Amino acid sequence: MTYAQRRNLSGYLFLAPYLASFLAFVVLPIVVALGLAFMQFDLTTPSKTHFVGTQNFVEAYRDVRVWDSLKATLSYTALIVPSMVVSALAIALGLHAMARGRNVIRALLFVPGMLNVAVTGILWRWFYNNEFGLFNYLLKRVGLAPIPFLSEKAYAMPSIVLMSLWWTLGGAAVVMLAALQQIPTPVFEAAMLDGANGRRLFSRITFPLLKPVLLFVVVTNTIAGFQVFGQPFMLTNGGPELATRGLVQYIYELAFNQYRLGYGAALSWVLVAIIAAFAFVQFRLMRGGAD
Amino acid sequence: MTAKTGLAVMLAAVVGVGAVRSDWSPAAHGKQVQLSFWNGFTGPDGVVMLQLVRRFNEANPDVQVSMQRMDWGTYYNKLMVAVLDGRGPQVFVLQANSLPRMHKAGLMAPVSDCFGPGGISKDDFDPMVLSQVEYGKDTIGVPLDIWPFGLYCNVDMLKKAGLSGPPRDREEFVKAARAMRDGDHWGYALTDYRIVFQSLQPQFGGHYFDAKGRADLVNEGNLATLRFMKSLNDPNDRLVPPPENGLGWMGFRQQKVGMVIDGIYMLGDLMRLNDFHYVGAPVPVIGKVPGTLADSHILCARSGLSQDQRSAALRFIRFLSENSIAWAGAGQVPARRSVRATEAFRKMPVQYAFSQQIPYIHYFPRTVNIFELNQELGLAIEQVIRRRKTPEDALAFANARIQESLDRTGTEAGP
Repeated sequence: MTYAQRRNLSGYLFLAPYLASFLAFVVLPIVVALGLAFMQFDLTTPSKTHFVGTQNFVEAYRDVRVWDSLKATLSYTALIVPSMVVSALAIALGLHAMARGRNVIRALLFVPGMLNVAVTGILWRWFYNNEFGLFNYLLKRVGLAPIPFLSEKAYAMPSIVLMSLWWTLGGAAVVMLAALQQIPTPVFEAAMLDGANGRRLFSRITFPLLKPVLLFVVVTNTIAGFQVFGQPFMLTNGGPELATRGLVQYIYELAFNQYRLGYGAALSWVLVAIIAAFAFVQFRLMRGGAD
Repeated sequence: MTAKTGLAVMLAAVVGVGAVRSDWSPAAHGKQVQLSFWNGFTGPDGVVMLQLVRRFNEANPDVQVSMQRMDWGTYYNKLMVAVLDGRGPQVFVLQANSLPRMHKAGLMAPVSDCFGPGGISKDDFDPMVLSQVEYGKDTIGVPLDIWPFGLYCNVDMLKKAGLSGPPRDREEFVKAARAMRDGDHWGYALTDYRIVFQSLQPQFGGHYFDAKGRADLVNEGNLATLRFMKSLNDPNDRLVPPPENGLGWMGFRQQKVGMVIDGIYMLGDLMRLNDFHYVGAPVPVIGKVPGTLADSHILCARSGLSQDQRSAALRFIRFLSENSIAWAGAGQVPARRSVRATEAFRKMPVQYAFSQQIPYIHYFPRTVNIFELNQELGLAIEQVIRRRKTPEDALAFANARIQESLDRTGTEAGP
């Protein structure tokens, strides 16, 4: 065996444990789900499982609850992605400008992300409670009217987004800070010698050079946004009036409460197609600039 | 001693001890039957159940029961997949409302032989409780308890408002709710809307399905129940804080709400609080007749067990049923009349007060589509309380959705 072959083999051997679990727990379920999407498969009557062609997809198109949950998912994604990018960028710029204490704040930003979604959800449910929660207690103390954070449709989704920001902002901010620190200082110094002010430095140097990282943050948060489950499940359980029940929660309910695995699998593939389409468009829109 | 010799001695010691230990255990003689027992008792009730399991194991050296608790939210998924794959527990607990679905999936074996001479007497159960586990000629489980929904009251708030005790009818209820309203304190708050609806619905004569088993939500009893609940949230004369699911119980725990309607299973939560004076009472008669919602934990044996396993499983189920007074201590109402008649049970004030409703409790309807029913009904109730839809429109929409799901599963529903 040549050196190159041995090198190749050792590479595959290192990969093998992960590859095996990836095939068993990711690829195989995906393939099975694709098959299930064309079957009527109800766990309560597994013996009556049969092929139904595209019937599950037709039902999904006609199911008013699918459209409701898709609307909730889009609403969450449309709110979380821009607010995440803007907040993370602002925090990263602030940290980058700091001479001292940066590491402490960076570590603190990560603390909420270390909490499990169930703990975070229970905590924020109490914060948001209409009559007996912390936020409305504080609002009342300063003479302001209480806000129905989770009990009114108009406030519920923004409230979930706020909790998600608190929970996940640290990661995105640190990624952006790392990218900022990669920009060579002489570039800024040269521009300043040429008379560039702060705004021009940001628009002509910082922002363009951050585009690859911004693309990463936008795409990963878009995917996470479409997959949102834990936050609304814990805070509102999809309410009020299903206004915050996303597609993943609906799929979960279909598959694991109603035991309609075939229909649930079909909806999962619809979600995959939607995420793929959005990711593709985002890449197309931002890749040119990023290159 | 060299390293190799030392290692050999250690291995020999380990093997030797293992051999001796295995020789000590009854399993080595092939006599001990291993049973796995699954349930969703993750709260303080789980500790009590674990103590019962230990007592059984001590009293029955030929059987070893190991208990596994998991959250009810994921319990049924795991149970169903495990049983269908032939790896499920030999004994498990189901909520009565899930029996039709689990029975359809073939999870349980009949336990009819638990009853009769030398076993449990069917006469020890109230007919409506026993009817939950009877499917044709088979009895598919043994009811362990009954969890009626009742009224929890804050004693200090009642006294402060000059009230002598929990309200008993609609007039007293509304009066008490108004009397306890003070600043950020409320006399009454809605807990889970659907649960409150289903607790009051029997009082108004409401029903879910017609005689043919088709969805029939738009009926006068349901409409009257909804109109009453809607009246509580009248913006011009508000008797409840703005509706928010889960708010009611949190407010009651914080002693800012005087009364809530909830299940006996919430008692465990209150038992952990200090300096909180509360009482339990039957749900006031808001409608025409007394009535409330209830459910039960049912002890079931898996289908496909060997003779030894089945015999041990039935013995374990009988043990739990016969010792359910200990279970009552965890904040439950035993299903057996003889246990409820004991002095020990009468000394459990909330359990005893809630148990007074047993003659007129109503279980969830018998349908495999219980999840779909509860979800669509819950949404309709929420829309009415929030005044987004009229009771007629909300129920009509829910009715159509529920009928669709019945048509899909090709099933009819019981009353």
